[in-house]
Amino acid sequence: MAEKRQEKSLIRNNRRLQGDYCQVDLESPGIAPLVAPGQFVHVKMPNLEHRILRRPFSVYDTDPKDGRLSIVYKVIGLGTAHLATLKPGTELDLLGPLGVGFTPPRPEQTPIVVAGGYGCAATYLLARQSPVPAYCLLGGRSADDLLLVEEFKQLDAQVELATDDGSRGRRGLVTELLEELLARGDLRNPQIYACGPVGMLKAVGRIAHQSGLVAEISLDHAMCCGVGACFACVVKVKADTPAGWDYARTCVEGPVFRSDQAVWE
Amino acid sequence: MADLRVELGPLSLRNPVIAASGTFGYGREYRDLVALDSLGGIVVKGVSPFSSPGNPPPRTAEVEAGMLNAIGLQNPGIDKFVADPEYLPWLRTVNTAVIVNIWGRTVEDYVLVAERLEAEKSGIAALEINISCPNIKEGGIGFGTDLGMVEQVVGRVRRATTLPLITKLSPNVSRIADFARCAVDAGSDILSLINTLPAMAIDVESRKPRLANVTGGLSGPAIKPVAVKLVYEAAQAVEAPIIGMGGIVSAEDAAEFILAGASAVGVGTAIFADPQCLSRIVEGLDLYCRRQGVDALAELVGAVKF
Repeated sequence: MAEKRQEKSLIRNNRRLQGDYCQVDLESPGIAPLVAPGQFVHVKMPNLEHRILRRPFSVYDTDPKDGRLSIVYKVIGLGTAHLATLKPGTELDLLGPLGVGFTPPRPEQTPIVVAGGYGCAATYLLARQSPVPAYCLLGGRSADDLLLVEEFKQLDAQVELATDDGSRGRRGLVTELLEELLARGDLRNPQIYACGPVGMLKAVGRIAHQSGLVAEISLDHAMCCGVGACFACVVKVKADTPAGWDYARTCVEGPVFRSDQAVWE
Repeated sequence: MADLRVELGPLSLRNPVIAASGTFGYGREYRDLVALDSLGGIVVKGVSPFSSPGNPPPRTAEVEAGMLNAIGLQNPGIDKFVADPEYLPWLRTVNTAVIVNIWGRTVEDYVLVAERLEAEKSGIAALEINISCPNIKEGGIGFGTDLGMVEQVVGRVRRATTLPLITKLSPNVSRIADFARCAVDAGSDILSLINTLPAMAIDVESRKPRLANVTGGLSGPAIKPVAVKLVYEAAQAVEAPIIGMGGIVSAEDAAEFILAGASAVGVGTAIFADPQCLSRIVEGLDLYCRRQGVDALAELVGAVKF
């Protein structure tokens, strides 16, 4: 298990990106240099003492030299609504980096990022740090749910978009883009990395397996401790047990799992 | 610096702050974040004779000033706990009192785990008998709310081990004094209380229970006044030392339990929010002793004034 720390970090900037999505930039010189793509930080919301648990967020991007760590989040509940109100200079208590991230792509591979909605934030760092240009397939319900498109486009990457309603990019599912890309048959050692809604991840796994591939998928789950102590954030994975499965902790065995380990219910 | 040392009958601790069972894993999980040698002790997650997958998720739900859990005592089983380098062999290397929480579905299960740990007792400071988990169908709270079963489980485990024995009591009884006396009479050296309170939460939009197990155990600051009262009543009923717990976040919370009659305190849910709270509570208790003008924390045990 890699090193993890608890650090008081200061908010440098906290702004709305689009719709309900926001970005917060944090001064976190102790944690930022340690973050690998796909890992997360566990955040204690200040001045919300009657809500006792931390909130886990994928790390969107880091700048180790500058000690910066950025999170993109969607306002969906009490914790994130509160986070959106916090001003620069506010102190946030972070635990991190936590969890097992993505296996870094090797130069002889062709990385394919498949991201739905909020999943764009969890996969950006992987695409940015990839030693070879990645294919980045980004999807969402509508144009408002396509996140960080310009940031992905600024990378040396091939970016393709899909929305359910056709308001931006292809009308359809991001997984259709994946099927078409794999159908070309000319990609060298494709390696798929995915984060998004469960339905999307399930389809990514199926498509990967049909091509004889195993995808790495990042699962989102409510958590308590974030370090493997409480066994709250479990998901079913294949295991050598009489039942053929066991519960694995998203926070330490994940959040990134192999698609051939997943047991979908 | 005030003297924070604690004597719990046969169990001596450097200070009264103990990480409570189920919230601190098997210790290793927090090794980067908590200086274990600053703690009085740690209670590892419940170990049973068999490995157990636990309950289906969602297993936890945050509620006002607390949380519900229905983990279902997922654990690797006694064989793995004893042999795997990540569990007991690693725990033998830490410089704090290691207390092993044990549970089972039958009385024989408890005895079996106690016997195995008796044979492997190097590095184990005490056993804690869990007869109060609200989230398993057999054993657990079903034993802890029946005086006959408490007597049987504690008595049989007592005969199986020479280790100091702690019995963790359920709050879900009408008279805690009866259960405190029963556990002590059956051979428990120490009592710990309270376990979580049986509880339920419903998502009103989906109209579904927020836990897959439907009900779970409530912990966190919400339960603290209930816990203080039960510790107070138990302390009135028995001479045996008490580890008080339930919603402790700060040194002042811990002091409240000590004044009510606890000699040591368990800290659980608060660790999830802030792993540093454990050492902060130790430091805060030192300051509290100085404010109260006592040289040793032990002088404040049961020292509530009327």
